[in-house]
Amino acid sequence: MSAADLYRENVLAHNREPRNHGALDAHTHAADGANPLCGDALRFELRVADGHIAALRFSGESCAITIAAASMLSERVTGLDAAAIAALRAQFDALLRGDPCDRDALGELAAFGELVRYPARRQCAQLPWATLTAALNGAASATTEKDSP
Amino acid sequence: MSAAINPVPFNQAARRADFPLLSREVNGKPLVYFDNANTAQKPQRVIGTVDDFYRRHNANVSRSVHTLGEEATAAYEGTRDKLAQFINAPSREEVVFTSGTTNAINLVAYSYAQPRLKPGDTILVTQMEHHANIVPWQLVCERTGAKLKVAPITPEGELIVERFVELLTPDVKLAAVVHVSNVIGTVNPVAELARACKSRGIPLLVDGSQAAPHLAIDVQALGCDFYAITGHKMFGPTGTGALWAKREHLEAMPPFFGGGEMIRAVSFERTVFADPPHKFEAGTPNIAGFVGLGAAIDYIGEVGIDNIRKYESELLAYATDALRSVAGLRLFGQAREKAAVLSFLIDGVHAHDLATLLDQEGVAVRSGHHCAHPLMQFYGVPATARASLAFYNTRDEVDRFVAALEKVRRLLM
Ligand SMILES: Cc1ncc(COP(=O)(O)O)c(C=O)c1O
Repeated sequence: MSAADLYRENVLAHNREPRNHGALDAHTHAADGANPLCGDALRFELRVADGHIAALRFSGESCAITIAAASMLSERVTGLDAAAIAALRAQFDALLRGDPCDRDALGELAAFGELVRYPARRQCAQLPWATLTAALNGAASATTEKDSP
Repeated sequence: MSAAINPVPFNQAARRADFPLLSREVNGKPLVYFDNANTAQKPQRVIGTVDDFYRRHNANVSRSVHTLGEEATAAYEGTRDKLAQFINAPSREEVVFTSGTTNAINLVAYSYAQPRLKPGDTILVTQMEHHANIVPWQLVCERTGAKLKVAPITPEGELIVERFVELLTPDVKLAAVVHVSNVIGTVNPVAELARACKSRGIPLLVDGSQAAPHLAIDVQALGCDFYAITGHKMFGPTGTGALWAKREHLEAMPPFFGGGEMIRAVSFERTVFADPPHKFEAGTPNIAGFVGLGAAIDYIGEVGIDNIRKYESELLAYATDALRSVAGLRLFGQAREKAAVLSFLIDGVHAHDLATLLDQEGVAVRSGHHCAHPLMQFYGVPATARASLAFYNTRDEVDRFVAALEKVRRLLM
């Protein structure tokens, strides 16, 4: 299948068995992300200590792209502070646009570079980032859906 | 009337070849176009007619006495005759051209319903409506203090007719029902609903967007008051459509848009409006589009709407059986009277992943809520994948679609 480039093995594996999946007891921050038109919904719960993410879990029903992105992201951002996460998110957005970016810094998340060819699905991979950012900023909810029919 | 008087012979392969786009490839695979409920492909007849119009006849309508103006007007107004015949309207003057169903329903909402509604009044719709047959009513309800009521459906996706009739209480000032559901294919018993409405003096609007490409429409036999259609789903150009309404309603309705084409005489003190349908058709319309729509109606007549209905119901039965063989597949909508629309989900697979991966196999289906949030809520799912078929689709395409589904399922499980 030629979509194997997007739905490659590590993406499928993260979708099948997402890391850091579930609820987080004693979380300090949380937010709900939703792309209602798509039908993606996601909740992030985090424990922040000294400005750094000590633990993070997510739950919700979403497409494989959103789940895999959330799973990879949860591993990548543990231990980082808000500034480092914002910098990494900027790299991820550049990756989706096809702009130069630091693929090494993104690690596994660089798999989503294939979304350059799937503009309609970019918002799926961006939802976990927006939800995480909302949680860190104390916002209750997030979406990456533009006004679309 | 719109039904074929003499049966027309039906050569499916030849008909399919009338659609140039169907021979293209997508992602290196032959295209399987199963998104017909979204918009239909266009036969060469329609494409050629629009092309010829711009090459040889282009002029504005109803304004110029020169030859081109008369040719353009004759072709444009000719579509009104064809459309009137296509839906068996008693008169061509009852056919108002609009840019599609959405505009047609909004015209009724603002020009017919809004002036009549007051607090305590209601508009009755069904659980299976497209947003185009919900939101305009909500907007006029907000302006007038009226409310929306919703007639329920069964899990199979059939309207519960007794409940619909019970809900036709004196507060109901208008009922609005989809003829054929774009999500689950249900064909509603419009004639029966119209009788119930009529005996209570309640006007009935029918959203015929999905009916026009699949079954014979006879607005007189249906007995409704308003019937809305959209051209692009019936193999015509986008930006075309119509509202049919009983003459008494059109005469009572004030114009919605003002401008050129819709007046008889204008002074700064007073404007005398043209008679229906022109009083609702302000401004330069989509002339080439409507000329193309005329070609689409001719084309449907040539294929034979009864041939279309028969072929599609066989294809639907075949596709339904084929889908049932896919493990973990859940079909939404199993109405006894059903058009060739199949909404489904596969356990553990999100609709968008399905659509993206099917597209890689050359199969075009829609995923999402299909502009019918309330129906998705009824089924308790955020989205479905939908395969909607037309008479140019084949069993071979159904087989390729099912093979692609199996491939996708294996990949994602
Ligand atoms: C049942 C139904 N009603 C209304 C519409 C709106 O049609 P249009 O967008 O052409 O105005 C559609 C098409 O999307 C439909 O399927």
